[in-house]
Amino acid sequence: MDISTIVAGLLTLIIFSFLYKDNPFYKMAESLLIGVSIGYVLVITWSNTLMDMLFEPLFQSGKLILLIPFLLGLLMLGRFSNKTAALSRIPIAVMIGSGAGIAIPTMLYNRTIKQLTASVMPLFSPDGTFNFAGIVVIIGLLSTLAYFYFSREHKGKFGLFAKVGTYFLMIFFGTTFGYTVMSRMSTFIGRMEFLLSDFLKITQ
Amino acid sequence: MHLLPRHFVFIGLFLLIGITMALDIDVDVKVSPYTKQMHAYIDSIPEGSTVIMSFDHEASSLPEIRPIALAMLRHAFSKNIKLIGVSLYPEGTLIGYRLMNNIGKEYNKTYGDDFVYLGFRPQYIAAILSMGESIEKTFPQDYLGYQYNAIPMLTSITNYDDINCVISIADGSLTTHWIEYGGQFDIKILGAVTAAMVTTYDPYLSSNQMTAMIGGLRGAAEYEKLFGMKGGGARGMLAQSAAHLYVIFLIVLGNIFYFRSRKKGAKN
Repeated sequence: MDISTIVAGLLTLIIFSFLYKDNPFYKMAESLLIGVSIGYVLVITWSNTLMDMLFEPLFQSGKLILLIPFLLGLLMLGRFSNKTAALSRIPIAVMIGSGAGIAIPTMLYNRTIKQLTASVMPLFSPDGTFNFAGIVVIIGLLSTLAYFYFSREHKGKFGLFAKVGTYFLMIFFGTTFGYTVMSRMSTFIGRMEFLLSDFLKITQ
Repeated sequence: MHLLPRHFVFIGLFLLIGITMALDIDVDVKVSPYTKQMHAYIDSIPEGSTVIMSFDHEASSLPEIRPIALAMLRHAFSKNIKLIGVSLYPEGTLIGYRLMNNIGKEYNKTYGDDFVYLGFRPQYIAAILSMGESIEKTFPQDYLGYQYNAIPMLTSITNYDDINCVISIADGSLTTHWIEYGGQFDIKILGAVTAAMVTTYDPYLSSNQMTAMIGGLRGAAEYEKLFGMKGGGARGMLAQSAAHLYVIFLIVLGNIFYFRSRKKGAKN
């Protein structure tokens, strides 16, 4: 068994020990996880981003256009001092401005127009059969929107319709919760498989 | 329910999963239409086509992501599809490289000719849009430091026009960005996601913004069945079914205790 398997196995057991009680070993493993993650991200960002995309092309290949992102990046470091903190607003403004410019039309098209178009289905399919799913989707969509419409009191027929919307929401939340439980169980099963086969060699 | 210390709940789960995994019984899974759709799409990709596989996940979701990624990599390599690996999450970078390299070796594939790993780029939206213009400009070098134009399989690849599809292996919402920003370039997006994210991507599948999707360990088991192999997905199915029955049992038990204590409270 190699050293990495032993370390991974022991750390997995130490993390699981939290299920019994919080303890110093768990704290150590938790800190180690955060430290290693941040260290790894820093190294990857340095080598794959700053070196590959900025320092080498700028200082070795002489791509002077890269001085602009380089200076904007330096201005971001102004936040470390109260005197220069205002300078960091410039790169933040560039990021938010360009980000919003790209994101707003894309979101509007993909999350609203495309989704709304897909919600409107023909009541009868080409072979003449009634499209029951289309009715369910349209009732679900309108009743859920009614639930989030707060400009009118949820009373009478409108209140009843909004109530139907809550049932659709509950079905969605229930499904999402079920899938999340399944996901967490899968993660646990994956670790158990590692412990039983690679670390403890109980199973194949 | 407070009479049952919580430790027993966890010990019970430990024992149950340990025993079911030791039993190593095959569970026949029913393949969902989602997985069939994904398998059929990968199967239909012509030999020699290039596919981008994006490892958009963190290390913590590896137990669930790994069986899915392995099944899809094996299927793609067996079909002689050329693969370009990228990562839009720093943590997924090394994981993606190792998985691709190991399965590539299993199928006698050569790095640079049959598959390549370009590594990580930050600012995923910028990276996705930039690859639509030029993959070379986004990744002037690959993960190992080779220049883009020195890699044989990349000489004919400029942007998404030369790519059949993107498979985003994700544990979060990053596939959404592939759909929304990558979709602008008319590239097909396929998602291999954790079970927790299935309901997030369902609307994109219904609206055809996403071509196909598989989700979670169950999805991996279904894919393995279609591909005709036994992997981590199939091995975990009995344990997962047992764990779900255990959770249902605990919910029923909790409710019995709750209603009994409420009845007692009403009498008192």
